[in-house]
Amino acid sequence: MEFKDYYHILGVAPDAETSTIKDAYRRMARKYHPDLNPGKESEEKFKEVAEAWEVLKDKRRRGEYDELRRYGGQHRQQFEPPPGWRAATAEEFQNIGGDFSEFFRSFFGHDFDIGSRESWNFADARGQDIEIKMPVFLEETVRENRKLVNYVIPAFGQGEVRNIKKALNVTIPAGVTHGERIRVKGQGAPGVGDGLPGDLYLHINLVPHPLFDVEGHNLVVTVPVAPWELALGTKVLVPTLEGKISLTIPPGSKAGQRLRARGKGLVGKTGKGDLFAVLKVCMPPSDSEEVKAIWKSLAEKAAFDPRAGWGRS
Amino acid sequence: MATTVTRISVQDLCEKEGLASSTVTQIVQYEIAEPVAGTSVRDWVFDTTGSHWIKKALRLQRDLELEWLAVALLVDLLRERESLMRENRQLRRRLGRLEG
Repeated sequence: MEFKDYYHILGVAPDAETSTIKDAYRRMARKYHPDLNPGKESEEKFKEVAEAWEVLKDKRRRGEYDELRRYGGQHRQQFEPPPGWRAATAEEFQNIGGDFSEFFRSFFGHDFDIGSRESWNFADARGQDIEIKMPVFLEETVRENRKLVNYVIPAFGQGEVRNIKKALNVTIPAGVTHGERIRVKGQGAPGVGDGLPGDLYLHINLVPHPLFDVEGHNLVVTVPVAPWELALGTKVLVPTLEGKISLTIPPGSKAGQRLRARGKGLVGKTGKGDLFAVLKVCMPPSDSEEVKAIWKSLAEKAAFDPRAGWGRS
Repeated sequence: MATTVTRISVQDLCEKEGLASSTVTQIVQYEIAEPVAGTSVRDWVFDTTGSHWIKKALRLQRDLELEWLAVALLVDLLRERESLMRENRQLRRRLGRLEG
């Protein structure tokens, strides 16, 4: 197995005081804790740092570790324990779980019993919870939906961690929102021994829509309109998640104005949200002489200065 | 077909996370999570988003050896960051639609 140099991992001298090691751990925990720095890389780094602290904070465990280190352990090099070393039994090795390295589980596994919560994420008889991102299209939030989920769970057995692929049909309730978590009971990692399995958590991720933006339970759609449609008013067909609706643009409307269609938004816990149509002016091409002449005539007759608010300089 | 739920009882949460109900009370007092149902600690129910923040708070408290007050402030900032990042993404998308 690979030797772990915990002093090297925490960047401290082998004769450092526990308080110095604690400071180093806390600085690195701040830098790499996965809840503060999301990402696989920081998660792996934090596991390493936490494992080092787990060993070095305890006087007896640190003593045992120093003995192994003196025996010739070098960071990330292959290592065989000295003869007669009390290594973890297969059961102890299995109980500790996958957050610790093979090196840790082999040499310090005997320190921890099933169910002990002495430390970080320890041998719990219950299986690990698994959290995965679940992309959901806006159209799928309108009603309850069935979706197939593929994911991987870690399983411990015979001294090693194996990844098992799972496929599961789940029901996504109507009205789910971005960032919401849905729990699927007992579909996480299997428990140790007779322990119950963990749960699967689906982290809802609403997929960006080509037409609609989401504001809470309201939807926003940008409606391109011609300048004369704003000036004279018109009726336009506007898409919703459940077909098109006719929307009246009143005469004298302004660019950027929001028109509301009640109850055409997303499904919420207390009813449906609204759809807001935001008017966006699109200029027609004015390359023909005839069109240019009409614009010129409008400019003269409207006597409009769009920059009047700037004042005279 | 697996059963999906969006709520978790305080008993279930305590059993899963190895928590004492007094810790859950503290978490609620510091406004890290708010029960969505129940009038006393024994029958509190959390939504799964609330339980997500409770689990995050527990990890931060344990791994960084923080006081609950510091955890509450940290969770507030993390929640605010998450919400501002989401709002920023949405506004950029809307701006793109108006510019395009």
